[in-house]
Amino acid sequence: MTMSFHDQVIAILPKLRVQALALTRNRAAAEDLVQDAVCNALSAQDSFAPGTNFPAWMHRILRNRFISDLRKKRETTDIDDMPASFLSTNAAHEDRIVLKDLDAALARLPDDQREALVLGVLEGMSYQELADVAGCAVGTAKSRVFRARRQLEAWMIGEEHVGKDRLKAKASTLRQQSDRRLEEKTVPNRL
Amino acid sequence: MFAIATGNVTFLSGGVLMHHRMEKFMDESPAKKPKKTSDQAFDLWLKRGLHQLFDDVANEPIPEELLKLIEEDRRD
Repeated sequence: MTMSFHDQVIAILPKLRVQALALTRNRAAAEDLVQDAVCNALSAQDSFAPGTNFPAWMHRILRNRFISDLRKKRETTDIDDMPASFLSTNAAHEDRIVLKDLDAALARLPDDQREALVLGVLEGMSYQELADVAGCAVGTAKSRVFRARRQLEAWMIGEEHVGKDRLKAKASTLRQQSDRRLEEKTVPNRL
Repeated sequence: MFAIATGNVTFLSGGVLMHHRMEKFMDESPAKKPKKTSDQAFDLWLKRGLHQLFDDVANEPIPEELLKLIEEDRRD
């Protein structure tokens, strides 16, 4: 059975919230953004062709609304808006610190990379769907996810990415040093 | 599905996380070379972290006013 337009809007609200939070980094702003996007979608419902990709259409409306609001405001958003789960005493202290680090690292990413990463990882969107939402090429969507992931890894683990060749050279040097040390240890035993 | 193998990674903040290996991070073609264990560990950790950051927002009840707005439009 096909869902009505309004049922589809209601069903997608949790996902819109995730996208809105990924873009705004602020819960109150995310709620406002979802509401505004829903209003836009309701007034533009005649332009939606039934049977086409509703999630992509809806996510694109929210994204466009965010961009248009951003142009109006041109101000930085608040990142000190931790989810309640952060502060829960159930979470181990170390975990909370690491999550806080992750949240801060996410905030440092460009909006389009953060959005692509969150929608890809959490909502399971394909690169094609991400491209549809962002109105960009599939390669661009893929690159956004890749860059976001690589940048987060560098920030979180504290290792800048080195090229494969540099890594191989490093590994080879370490192996040689280790072999030399082993030889130095074994040679006196033979004598 | 995930194939699990454990390993530890220490993060800048000092937190040590038990990591697991996973086959997939996002949808990728099976023809691709398998990722290194450290990459897979980070991917799984990142996925869990994102879930912790975003899940409660996604699961919050929908505000009544928003539902009312949608239902009013449905009736029009």
